[in-house]
Amino acid sequence: MNSEAPTTTPAVADIDINQVIACPDCDLLLEKIPVATGEKLCCPRCGETLREPKTDSINRTLALALTGLLLFPFAIFMPIMTLNTMGLENSGNIFDEVIMTWDTGYRFIALIVALTTIIFPLIKLLLLFLISLSLKFKRYHNSLRLLMRSYIHLDEWGMLEVFMIGILVTIIKMHHMATIQYDVGLFCFIGLLAAALGSSLMMDKDEFWKLIENGERRNQRHRGAEAEGTKFCSNTDFLEQVAKK
Amino acid sequence: MINSGVTTAKEAGLALCHDCHKLVPATGKSALGTCPRCGAAIHLRKPNSLNRSWALVLAALILYFPANFLPIMLVDFMGSPDLSTIMDGIIYFFQEGSYGIGAVILTASILVPCFKIICLILILLSIHFRWRSWLRHKTILFRIIEFIGRWSMLDIFVIALLHVLVNFEGLTTITAAPAAPYFVGVVLCTMFAAITFDPRLLWDA
Repeated sequence: MNSEAPTTTPAVADIDINQVIACPDCDLLLEKIPVATGEKLCCPRCGETLREPKTDSINRTLALALTGLLLFPFAIFMPIMTLNTMGLENSGNIFDEVIMTWDTGYRFIALIVALTTIIFPLIKLLLLFLISLSLKFKRYHNSLRLLMRSYIHLDEWGMLEVFMIGILVTIIKMHHMATIQYDVGLFCFIGLLAAALGSSLMMDKDEFWKLIENGERRNQRHRGAEAEGTKFCSNTDFLEQVAKK
Repeated sequence: MINSGVTTAKEAGLALCHDCHKLVPATGKSALGTCPRCGAAIHLRKPNSLNRSWALVLAALILYFPANFLPIMLVDFMGSPDLSTIMDGIIYFFQEGSYGIGAVILTASILVPCFKIICLILILLSIHFRWRSWLRHKTILFRIIEFIGRWSMLDIFVIALLHVLVNFEGLTTITAAPAAPYFVGVVLCTMFAAITFDPRLLWDA
């Protein structure tokens, strides 16, 4: 019936590296505990979210990334809106916006706008699509971890939601001076934004990394089995049985 | 485990991978190799974090002045060009009675960059002088800085959009003006400063 906490300090070597996690913001070492979907594990010291498992992460990420990719060309190349004033009419799309800014000589601005609203969002969607597709069909290629790392570094440089607020500000700015007609591009852009945000939110990085790590280990075992001349099944469980024989 | 006397991963001789957050044994001081899971270089803390963050924050501070005092937008109405700074645009909205939109632009373009620069300098100073109070709040402050970083691009996007939409030859055209690149510079510098800064240094101090 002794419930007192141990007062002796265990040696550093006693810590099992597989049983602990650390907070990325304050480096606090914590015991690894299972977190159910819908729950959120926060650091007790600094409040950072450590784990937040998502329901059906792979399928949802895949579906939303695919949706985003399908809407992408329409959101970029279709006109967003048409302004009408004193009998003059003018419409524009996101691609022309970059080209026109480039032509006025503000090439740095054009480059940054192109990167943050076209190129990075597109690469992010492609990466999410490729990663979740490979995980769904259990194809663990070596390049998968490079794709994951690229995604993590690009994450905050896609700025579709900031651009959406930019569109709203523009509408409010212009609606006194001109009649605004909303075009297909705007609705495609809203759809693209929703899909891109959704796919990023649905992606469970911890789960993805765990699957990639396990998948690579399995690939190594496959190669080992091949070297020994054993036949194996692509199903993990069955491989273990075959390998044991 | 929590009562073991070892509180941080660093004290336990473990390093957290920057990219995939896997714990890796760290024996030496530097050159810990690469992460076995994702292949990123392993460091106990982000390398040269303080120097890089200081340099980027100071660069942002210098760029902040031309960004705000030079004109950012050129409105050409029937051949008479009108240059306006960020502040002119905000005053225009307040005079028109569009207080909401004026407040949004004021927040995104002036207050947010200013807030980011001041708070980053405060956090960096607190590490230099080992101010061990309000650690949790300073970490939360840093997370806010990380989050709001990208929203300052709003004004640039609005100008680029106006440029393509309000393009009535002979009547009105809108183009970017000299302050725009400086303004983008401020946003990029503060974003990179937040990326290179390692909040764990606050707790190490």
